[in-house]
Amino acid sequence: MKVSLFITCLSEMFYQNAAKDVVEILERLDCEVDFPKGQICCGQPAYNSGYRKDAKKAAKQMIASFEASEYIVTPSGSCAAMFKEYPQLLKDEGEWYGRAKKIADKTYEFTQFVVNILKVEDLGATYPAKATYHTSCHMTRLLHEKEAPFRLLKNVRGLELLPLQNNYDCCGFGGTFAVKMAPISEQMVDEKIRHIEESTANVLIAADNGCMMNIKGRIDRKGKPIEVKHIAQILNTRVEGRV
Amino acid sequence: MAMKIGEKPFFDRVDDALEDGFMRNAMAKAQDGLRGRKLNATVGDEQIGDWEEWRSAGEEIRRHTLENLDYYLDQLSENFARLGGHVYFAETAEDATRYIQEVAKKKNAKKVTKAKSMVTEEIGLNEALEEIGCEVYETDLAEYILQIDDHDRPSHIVVPSLHKNKEQIRDTFRDKANYTGTEEPRELTAFARSQLRETFMEADIGVTGCNFAVAESGTISLVTNEGNANMVTTFPETQITVMGMERLVPTWNELDVMINLLSRSAVGQKITTYVTNLTPQLEEDSIDAPKEFHLIILDAGRSNALGTEFQSALHCIRCAACVNVCPVYRHIGGHAYGSIYQGPIGAVLSPILGGYEEYGELPYASSLCAACTEACPVKIPLHEHLIKHRENYVEKKGMTGEKMAIKTFGIGASSPALFKLAVKGMPAILGPLVKDNSITSGPGPMKLWTSVREFPAPGKDNFRNWFNDRGKGRE
Amino acid sequence: MTAGTIHNKEQFLNRITSQLGRDRNRQVGLPEWQHRPQLDVFSGASVNELAAAFKKNSLEKSTFVVNTDKANLAEALQEVIMKYGGGQVVASKDARFGEFGLDAVLDNEKTHIWDTNRGQENIEIAKKANIGLFISDAALAESGTIVQFNDKDIARSISLLPTVYVAIVPKSTIVPRMTQVVQAVHQSVEEGNNLATCINFISGPSNSADIEMNIVIGVHGPVEAVHVIVEDL
Repeated sequence: MKVSLFITCLSEMFYQNAAKDVVEILERLDCEVDFPKGQICCGQPAYNSGYRKDAKKAAKQMIASFEASEYIVTPSGSCAAMFKEYPQLLKDEGEWYGRAKKIADKTYEFTQFVVNILKVEDLGATYPAKATYHTSCHMTRLLHEKEAPFRLLKNVRGLELLPLQNNYDCCGFGGTFAVKMAPISEQMVDEKIRHIEESTANVLIAADNGCMMNIKGRIDRKGKPIEVKHIAQILNTRVEGRV
Repeated sequence: MAMKIGEKPFFDRVDDALEDGFMRNAMAKAQDGLRGRKLNATVGDEQIGDWEEWRSAGEEIRRHTLENLDYYLDQLSENFARLGGHVYFAETAEDATRYIQEVAKKKNAKKVTKAKSMVTEEIGLNEALEEIGCEVYETDLAEYILQIDDHDRPSHIVVPSLHKNKEQIRDTFRDKANYTGTEEPRELTAFARSQLRETFMEADIGVTGCNFAVAESGTISLVTNEGNANMVTTFPETQITVMGMERLVPTWNELDVMINLLSRSAVGQKITTYVTNLTPQLEEDSIDAPKEFHLIILDAGRSNALGTEFQSALHCIRCAACVNVCPVYRHIGGHAYGSIYQGPIGAVLSPILGGYEEYGELPYASSLCAACTEACPVKIPLHEHLIKHRENYVEKKGMTGEKMAIKTFGIGASSPALFKLAVKGMPAILGPLVKDNSITSGPGPMKLWTSVREFPAPGKDNFRNWFNDRGKGRE
Repeated sequence: MTAGTIHNKEQFLNRITSQLGRDRNRQVGLPEWQHRPQLDVFSGASVNELAAAFKKNSLEKSTFVVNTDKANLAEALQEVIMKYGGGQVVASKDARFGEFGLDAVLDNEKTHIWDTNRGQENIEIAKKANIGLFISDAALAESGTIVQFNDKDIARSISLLPTVYVAIVPKSTIVPRMTQVVQAVHQSVEEGNNLATCINFISGPSNSADIEMNIVIGVHGPVEAVHVIVEDL
């Protein structure tokens, strides 16, 4: 199976390790992974901030970059959801609509792809820790993927997955919201961290780099002893039978 | 007082709200409670089948009604008048209050009782009636509490006094109404009952809003729990109902669906205690029904949304389900929005009704988490409307500084060359700022981020090189 | 009947029409709705199942429920009145009381039957009454709701002003949900009939949760409610 990695800008700049884990996992599952070189940011920050024209430019560049792909996989629910938004964004742009539709239809968030397309739920990982999982908004509400991460985490040896109070509440990232509405965002992320602490987890797992950047940034600022990990990092740890 | 709340700028209102610990606790507690109740009464109630089907039913009914709004309003008004009622189409809030003042003068009205209604709040009806010498009595418990607390403003469209705790309410009752009891909700409620009981009987005019009007029969449907709307519409000689022009359904069959969506979404009830459907038929010698019935149909900016991408905002049935799940509302409460319409629907509706000058910041008071869209019983894509507002606002204001900020880090760069440059340059630009693998105090646009949190240090490797070294790239 | 008045209609509606970008005064027909979940609720349920659901949902709404049959109704009603403290009763003027054999129960000095000839006095009595008694016109299984088609004799005050409302619910009138009632109302409108001036769906005593979301029973309407389900089939 041929898979094109859509790495996302945050991952490429700040969280390369998670992206490497994604590549390694997919290859271990016999996927032929390629990396379309023309890829840039998906345009969501511009789109969500009201810069539709800029978002369209980014979308077109991304469509051109990924058109030849069989499957597009990305380690971010939010960015996958943006690809799904492309047809709507380009609905008045003639042939671009159809092209956008094709891209949208073959885009998957990483865990979604592993569980629903590759039909694999046990990646053989071992991660002895007490952890909780942050169900990110765009993954659950725009991508409507609520189960895949849990199915994969359930099979991680040694991982105790604890429930997270008010897991449905946003962490306060929201792209430019985090800076534009900093005082509100601060309260949101603080409540999220309070709930994480109450869960008694030592590790927070997430599948969206934006949320991770926000929650981890605040955890570090407050000096809390909680690790923040991308789900691919967990799933690619101490894998059975791996050299 | 109308739609606007307070004179302070948005961020000052937010600061005030964030410092109000009780209010924020109350909001969080109310949200958590209402969420559970709503889920039990919607997706959790097997009795009614698939809740998504109900939402789809609500959506198609609202869409059809709004697409043919002129037709159904025509039908409604003709049916209402045929039965002896009086209909006034009010283009503005002022038109509406002027007409109501005239009716009150003609009836020589002294006392007016009111059931809970956001639309009368929107047009500032109480002030207009007081101006001509009427005494106005709010009778919904929450509105009563606000009224006797020197006309405090609503912080929630379904429970307007949500920001007050029982101790505050007790103190207000003591200070303003000679209450001598405790802070027990039962006792406070009994006091309100005893205070208003005679007033209901003495009122000359009863004023209500309108949950839904039924076009085919000229009927006004009111949804309540306390029984106050029944009191207001049973004893005064004259009834005045004010409706936002979008609040109607074609026939009784559609009313059924909307009532179900509203009751379950707003308060998690299978049905509210009272669903009261009033049709003028004034020739009867009834002893306990109004003799005169006026219906004011209000535009006041609503038509701005018709025929635009915002049309579905008018599908709103004011259940506050979006408010009850909004994480921003959770922390800043209702007053910070500066509008009687708060939360996600408030951030969508207020700029439509009141313009960007006054309410342009509200669409940014959202992380676009889409909890609102998911909760809406008539499937209004609320978070998409917020984005659309931002587009309009940006177009109006330019906001090039912000655009530069977005582009600074390659986020938003629309050409691969620029993007690669940003990625490559990142360690060099940010490197000097990194301490212990993160950035604590960033320059320029990063400052707001680092005022709250650490900014991550750029990764040490270049991913593309790593990938290529594995010999697996595709040109 | 004197027709009412309509002000500013044309100008107002024309603005809407122009915003919507099309012509006015078209005939609009209702579409075939694609989603009608309301028709499936309790579909195929027996009368007994509906009655059981009505009872369960009434209880959930803090309403006391009594099951009886026609032969024992008078006695059951007396018991309910005593249980809730007796006192002044106000009842609607309704020929069905006779059909249910209740004339004797109502014929006493503590019971006032609504009488339009006595004007405001009716309201004064209802205000002081302990119990408001009426026959429900329809009842909803889904939510434990009774329905009143109010007119000058089935007065609105009766279910509203007294401390307790007592509704006699003929079992045959229990339907799955609001859907069946609105269908009947809709048909009546189509046939050109005038509607009852107030069609009231009532589910138990009045209540409020406006103070810190605590539910308090008994606000402006009745403080207690009783549904008397009568076997009438």
